[in-house]
Amino acid sequence: MDQKVTAPTIEKKTLIGQRVKKPDAPDKAIGKTRYINDMVLPQMLIGKVLFAGRPHARIVSIDTAAAERLPGVHAVLTGKDAAGLRFGFVRDNAALKDKVRCEHDEIAAVAAESEEIARQAIGLIEVVYEDLPGVFTPEDGAREDAPQIHDNFPGNKSLYFEFSHGEVAAAEADSDFVVDNVFRPHHVTHCCMGTSCAIADFDHNGKLTIWTQTQYPYNYKMDLAPALGLQPGDIRVIQPPVGGAFGSKLDVYPYEPIAALLAKRTGRPVKVIYSREEEFKASPTRQPAIIHMRTGCTRDGTLTFRTADVLLDNGAYTSWGPTIPVIMMRTVSGHYRVPVVDFKAQAIYTNNPYAGSFRGYGNVQTTWATAQQMDMLADMVDMEPLAFHLKNSQVSGEITPQKSFLRECVLVECLETAAGASDYSRKRKEYAAARAEPGRYKKGIGLASSIHNAGGAKIHKSDGIGTILKVDDYARVTVITGASEIGQGIDAVITLIVAEELGVPLEHVLIVNNDSDIAPWDVGVHASRTTFIAGNGTRRAARKAKAQILAAAEKMLGEPADTLELRGGSVVRDACGTPLIKLDRLLRQMHFQAEPELVMVTDYYEPKSEPEGAKHVSDHSAAYSHAVHVAEITVDTLTGEITVDKITMAQDVGRVINRMGLEAQIEGGLAIGLGYALSENMLLDRGLLKNPCFRDYKLLTAPEMPPLDLHFIESDCAEGPYGAKGISELPTIVIAPAIANALYNATGVRVFDPPMSPEKVARAIDAQRQAAGG
Amino acid sequence: MQEIKSYLAPRSLDEAVKAMAAGDVTVFCGGTDLTPQTDSGAKRYGATLMNIRRIEGLSGIAEAGDSIRIGAATTVTEVRRDPLIARAAPILAEAAEHFASDQIRNAASLGGNICNASPAGDMINPLLVLDAAVELASWADGALRTRSVPLENFFTGPRRHVKRPDELLTAIVFRKPATDFVGWFRKSGPRPALEISTVSVGIGGNLSDGVFRNVRVAMGSVAPTPLRAHGVEAALEGRPLDADSIRAAVAAADADATPIDDVRASAWYRKHLVKVFTEEVLNHVLGN
Repeated sequence: MDQKVTAPTIEKKTLIGQRVKKPDAPDKAIGKTRYINDMVLPQMLIGKVLFAGRPHARIVSIDTAAAERLPGVHAVLTGKDAAGLRFGFVRDNAALKDKVRCEHDEIAAVAAESEEIARQAIGLIEVVYEDLPGVFTPEDGAREDAPQIHDNFPGNKSLYFEFSHGEVAAAEADSDFVVDNVFRPHHVTHCCMGTSCAIADFDHNGKLTIWTQTQYPYNYKMDLAPALGLQPGDIRVIQPPVGGAFGSKLDVYPYEPIAALLAKRTGRPVKVIYSREEEFKASPTRQPAIIHMRTGCTRDGTLTFRTADVLLDNGAYTSWGPTIPVIMMRTVSGHYRVPVVDFKAQAIYTNNPYAGSFRGYGNVQTTWATAQQMDMLADMVDMEPLAFHLKNSQVSGEITPQKSFLRECVLVECLETAAGASDYSRKRKEYAAARAEPGRYKKGIGLASSIHNAGGAKIHKSDGIGTILKVDDYARVTVITGASEIGQGIDAVITLIVAEELGVPLEHVLIVNNDSDIAPWDVGVHASRTTFIAGNGTRRAARKAKAQILAAAEKMLGEPADTLELRGGSVVRDACGTPLIKLDRLLRQMHFQAEPELVMVTDYYEPKSEPEGAKHVSDHSAAYSHAVHVAEITVDTLTGEITVDKITMAQDVGRVINRMGLEAQIEGGLAIGLGYALSENMLLDRGLLKNPCFRDYKLLTAPEMPPLDLHFIESDCAEGPYGAKGISELPTIVIAPAIANALYNATGVRVFDPPMSPEKVARAIDAQRQAAGG
Repeated sequence: MQEIKSYLAPRSLDEAVKAMAAGDVTVFCGGTDLTPQTDSGAKRYGATLMNIRRIEGLSGIAEAGDSIRIGAATTVTEVRRDPLIARAAPILAEAAEHFASDQIRNAASLGGNICNASPAGDMINPLLVLDAAVELASWADGALRTRSVPLENFFTGPRRHVKRPDELLTAIVFRKPATDFVGWFRKSGPRPALEISTVSVGIGGNLSDGVFRNVRVAMGSVAPTPLRAHGVEAALEGRPLDADSIRAAVAAADADATPIDDVRASAWYRKHLVKVFTEEVLNHVLGN
């Protein structure tokens, strides 16, 4: 024991800001990961859904006799099997419908021995419909004589939101310039690589286990229960690896209760999995909107007011889509310093597909409008555009009209960094001057920014997370956490934080976060919150474990705990790094001593934010963040093609935690934003989707990703873990209007309804030429 | 529910056309059009699925006298990489370069792209410019029969052509262009990679002393079939290539194209693009 071995000292090294690989990456790269889509359970049946294929109709009759007779079919369910089991935010949805309200309405479902038999059975179900006149725009839906979509929602009125601050009339009278436009952000969808899938199974006590892609396993139980007539406590949610979510799995969608109803009827596990075409038609979309926005400023470039009158195409049912005004109004009231604000948003039921949540939730749509109007006003006032932005930028300590408290605000630094690195001001002037010169190809540069919640968003009663952390006899750490991994990289962040705090190798950290019966509560993956909330929860739990370990070390080694540190798998003297005992050995000694102890800690972290509240006046996030994007583009003025040559981005990330994960999230977010801006579009013709395939729904591909110049501004958020803020939505939010502003800089035309497809740009340029008489 | 009753992978052409003469055969080569079409229900499988990739002599690119012969099962990747094509008919390599994605190019066959008879078929356009013909083989009266059909006369409508169900397209043949032949291909879609043409324009002819002769112009996605734009050809034929003839060609392109509105583009935009591309290609030839 007293052998003198001089162990080398262990230097203090931090992992914060380093590049750490995602623990799930190697298996995904080599194809070893078993996604939910791959899962097969013994005795499992395949469930298949009969979709209406028409937008609005009365169901006259359904004949399932032939389907039921088909060998291999175990159950055929229709609307009567889901009668009274309504679910959704306003209880307007059901797993199987009694009336058709949109193309993908689920009319019947089959469970069979195989996919082929299930498909065949679906073909044998005979439904007689009586088509009804439809409603395909919110304007039409709001008309007095419009067909009614839900009996209990008169006037087709769904959710309504408003926020008002100050006197608009007076502010407008004080304004020297006012811009007034109508923006029409469109329908796009998430395009997860893994299509929607759920497997349901009941045990003999009537308890449901559902394997699902959900990104909010705890509230999911509450939301799924009424669709099945179960108690939330009787539902166990297991989350196998998923092929993407991006907000699309933040609600219960009918295929999930359908799987459960079929499982209940048959007494066997049932899997429902969508084909790509079904995925396009039946999975949620981004919320489209018609935004009438007005913004004013004085001659010296001071913003005076902003109003937004928003009409939302609710679609047939109410999911997260029509709740986006909660975030839209934060942008209307908080994107730059706006003293007077008036915001109204009405959602109107239509016979179109319905929207869920989607990365950038409401802010993609709003920033499309606010950031273009900032660019327009910049041209109207006699100021350098950058100076105009800077003049209206908030600084640390400011509070917006909705009471968002901008504790650490680095919008000015973001603007200066992105504009400086891209030489924005000079190029903008030069390209605008070159607009009238001859030449087919025109260069443009555009700047846009936005604000987003970066410390969760307390739209539920709690925005917290539970964490259980144990360290075993071999110094292996298990973190049991509510934070779901949906590909965004939280496992890497948790691993990094545990390794940072407990001085163990990254590979010695195991995360359990896929079973609602095991892991403690969390709101879910949304609102750019998981690194912030789960990062804090993990750090707090790790620090409790560390305190327990160092207290034991103090007893054993006779050195004060506050002079000790955990590094490189050992307890060391903090000051000099001299190792005193291996951590695993210490842990075993703690365990096997006279008064044995195990290291098992729990933590519940609730961020310091205020509930959203009915009036929407509250500091609803524990942090807020800004990003500035500068897009440089080349426009082919004949074909209308936009080539993005470069994106320069500066974003307040608080503090870089996992640099590799951060870069990947920014790049992925930009890819979604670029597709939204340039090519993605769900083409709806009277409620029917015309392009339910990747051939005609244009996702951008790798060759279209432009060079990126990313600048991470570290504002050191007091409430964030190590100073970090949430980061994942801003890259999707800001890029589209940056390109729109660059398009204007290049050509003098604006497109108000994305995507800025070649045809739309060519038409706008052609119209401009016609107007100019050439 | 439709079932494939048998699968054939013949080694010889005789075997293949005999099977086709016997009845309901679906020919499979690369499967890049067939698979999505049968999956979506747009097309039905016949009772026999016949893979033609193993038929001897059905793929490959070779000179035959003053002609070039491309076997029907030759992949787009093979066309793209072939030194003879690069030298003698670069317009074909250019079209192959912009054809779908690497994975699809590796599987898709030239014959399949033609038989699919899409107005947007990217390999058809340059083959029309090269005045290619297709060879069709069948089995009748105990013998192998072949006939040759000029590609221009092959298409009769969207997804329709003159090939009988018992005939197999075996090869594409065109005369090696003369040394003064020039040809260009241009396509467009809303994103640069993996794109189905919104429209495509191919122009070729013999250019000497500034005069354009034997002009052939092809347009994709502007009519029910891949189109030979005879109006544009007439506007250019035998005339010096200059601003006047280019203007006339652009006007003729507007008249030749009769596109429709669909999910990929409006008729207006397609007409707009054929004019832009016609002018662009001709200006490029002029060196502007």
